[in-house]
Amino acid sequence: MSPIRRWLIYALLAAVPTGCGDGGSGVEPDEVGENRLLSGGDATVFDASSLAFENPIPSLNGEEMDRFLAGDAAFEQIFVTAPAEVGNGLGPVFNQTSCVGCHARDGRGRDGFGDTSPFLGSMLMRVSLPGLNPEVPGAARPVPGFGEQIGDRAVFGVQPEARIEVLYHEETRHFADGEAYAVRVPQYHIYDAYQALPAGVLTSPRMAPPVFGRGLLEAVPEGDILALADPVDGDGDGISGRPNMVYNFRSGRTELGRFGLKANNPDLLQQVASAYHQDMGITSPYFPRESTAGQVQMDGRLDDPEIGPKTLEVTTFYIQTLAVPARRNIDDPQVRLGEELFAEAGCSGCHLPTLQTGSHEVAALSRQTIHPYTDLLLHDMGEELADGRPDYEADGSEWRTPPLWGIGLTETVNGIPAYLHDGRARTLMEAVMLHGGEADGAREFVRQLDRSGRDALVTFLQSL
Amino acid sequence: MNAIVSLSRLWLVLAGLILVAGCGDDDSTPPTVEPAAFDFGPVLDDFTNKVVIATYADLDKRAGDLLAAVGTMREDPSAENLTTARARWVAARVPWEASEGFLFGPVDFNGFDPALDSWPVNRTDLDGVLASGNDLTAAYVGGLDGTLKGFHTIEYLLFGEGGGKSAADLTAREFDYLVATTEDLKETTKALYESWIPSGGNFGQKVTDAGKGSPVYPSAQAAVQEMVGGMIGICDEVANGKIADPLTERDPRLVESQFSFNSIVDFQNNLRSVGNVYTGNYREDGRGLDEFIGERNAALDQRLKDEIQTAIDEIGSIAPPFREAIFSDRGQVEKAQAAVATVQQTLEEAILPLVLAD
Repeated sequence: MSPIRRWLIYALLAAVPTGCGDGGSGVEPDEVGENRLLSGGDATVFDASSLAFENPIPSLNGEEMDRFLAGDAAFEQIFVTAPAEVGNGLGPVFNQTSCVGCHARDGRGRDGFGDTSPFLGSMLMRVSLPGLNPEVPGAARPVPGFGEQIGDRAVFGVQPEARIEVLYHEETRHFADGEAYAVRVPQYHIYDAYQALPAGVLTSPRMAPPVFGRGLLEAVPEGDILALADPVDGDGDGISGRPNMVYNFRSGRTELGRFGLKANNPDLLQQVASAYHQDMGITSPYFPRESTAGQVQMDGRLDDPEIGPKTLEVTTFYIQTLAVPARRNIDDPQVRLGEELFAEAGCSGCHLPTLQTGSHEVAALSRQTIHPYTDLLLHDMGEELADGRPDYEADGSEWRTPPLWGIGLTETVNGIPAYLHDGRARTLMEAVMLHGGEADGAREFVRQLDRSGRDALVTFLQSL
Repeated sequence: MNAIVSLSRLWLVLAGLILVAGCGDDDSTPPTVEPAAFDFGPVLDDFTNKVVIATYADLDKRAGDLLAAVGTMREDPSAENLTTARARWVAARVPWEASEGFLFGPVDFNGFDPALDSWPVNRTDLDGVLASGNDLTAAYVGGLDGTLKGFHTIEYLLFGEGGGKSAADLTAREFDYLVATTEDLKETTKALYESWIPSGGNFGQKVTDAGKGSPVYPSAQAAVQEMVGGMIGICDEVANGKIADPLTERDPRLVESQFSFNSIVDFQNNLRSVGNVYTGNYREDGRGLDEFIGERNAALDQRLKDEIQTAIDEIGSIAPPFREAIFSDRGQVEKAQAAVATVQQTLEEAILPLVLAD
């Protein structure tokens, strides 16, 4: 029997609880092996092609599939300059003209900004001043004239707020066995600003992350995530996960942050609405004022909100119900060895292999055992990866643990890979070796591995 | 839109099949001998070389023909030269639409698709650019957003709203923009072609090496799944996007290629693209997935081929132009839509399971 067919059978046995009868016999899922094939529980699909990240979870009903399809179309909608009959309201300053423009195939973006490579770059630059936003409790203080994000592109006749370029220089480093590896060290240049950027601006480069599986992460109970936190490293393992606590614009309350590279959004609806607003300059019922409000370049058109609640709702539903691809090659001894090394190194201290979801209106998201390889908490990643820009309670060195599910399909889905929050890592091993701070111990463990151990670790990551 | 409906349906079908097979072992039919594994190597080779690269080569050549025609028209803006340029646009559109059955690889992740085929045209900005004093070079246009260049911007300039443009209507600035954006289109089609060939980006090898060290496709099945996913994706796009959106909304502004009235031909070429991927035939015959399917289930192979042809014929029976047919010929439009959906359903429910089971 081919491996794929066997996977399917395991998958189906796991996914269809009634199975063949009463004995509970058949195939016993191996806790560390076959069970982990289904990274998204019932929301897992078997697709190792470039479409791997853009499938709906398998059991959507007809009404849910209609919403998913409407969300898919919204995610692909290209916005253009007002006035326009279709796709009205782009900008006037923006980073991208559609959701899918950065989250290509619902996957990972590419390093680079709009200015240097109009089609490839999927990065943006967050900005703020030291201190707090007087209007949004706990949020970073916006930069007068620029807000919280630099619009590095603009509709015709409007000047981009600034242009940004990233230059890399390569540094050679060595594993303990003497083998060399290279890392890219980025330097960011903000230039041609439409007005002077004030002194002391804090900046944070961000590359578009994948968007599938987010409904499952949203369905993990808040209490479970908070229980994982260990802010003062009480257990002495060198890892001190902290929750970000952020403002919910709809409830007006401070809640656990889960989404965004620093976990600065409490839920997917707010994440989606703020992406429309900040990345594309599209106003919605939740953010009805133009991102350029109060600035000299505001268009002044009375066409806000430019999208309605239904667009936000279906786009959010689409993100919630994008399935997670199943793992591959999990019986490969290299994969198993790599998985053991991953745990032994301490990687799984933050990249937590297993979480449980709570209840959710979509059955396949509800009460699932999932393998996202994240704890959804903030961790100090060390000086090299620090942006120095606080974001709610996240300090300038902290990033939220990103999920690793699907990461082995990056090249298949998105071409030339770019990893980490700013895309500087070109390979998975480069990404591993750039971890610092709370991951110092894990990185050092990997540095000490021999070639075969390092290869096994990467082979494991490729199976995710 | 993507192969979205597909996998959920596939899941249910497989669930049914496998559960039935798994539960009835004791008294069901005796186990059959599994057929020998099919060697997908030649299929992947011919798909890469005889379908993908050959289609992109045609696209690049015809983009060059279009560029020559718009250059000639700028020198001599006669009605005849406008007619020629329009015909060349339509001709270049053929291989592009015939490539939409394989919208993966560099066309996707190098951003060639949005550079060539973005919709809608940003007419507000285009008017602004034309009214400005900016130097209209290919480099300048190349740096603009996809909604200001590519096929549909060229189409808008050549045909105008309602297709009623005459050569005399084009201003000097429009001519300059037309030539510059067509130069940019030609550069993009060249880059797309080169991204697949051995002397260029050689993405083709990542397909032909599937399961043999390809960093993109760890198995031949993964590459074949990509091919089938591409076919499903364009059927879905035609049935549930290109046809459904304007039909359901009764809105001709949502019609693709609406300035040139070329929509029906576009849709047909999309379905031909499905046939090309399936059979491995394009300019010359190759080995295709049909050999594999034919070996496993000859009736299914014939059924799919018939369904593809029926879909092409039903689309062709829509009374043109499509933007009017969504009002005046809705019955036939719905028939065509259903025929495309039938192809999609067969791919999802019959072809893909066979591929995955091998």
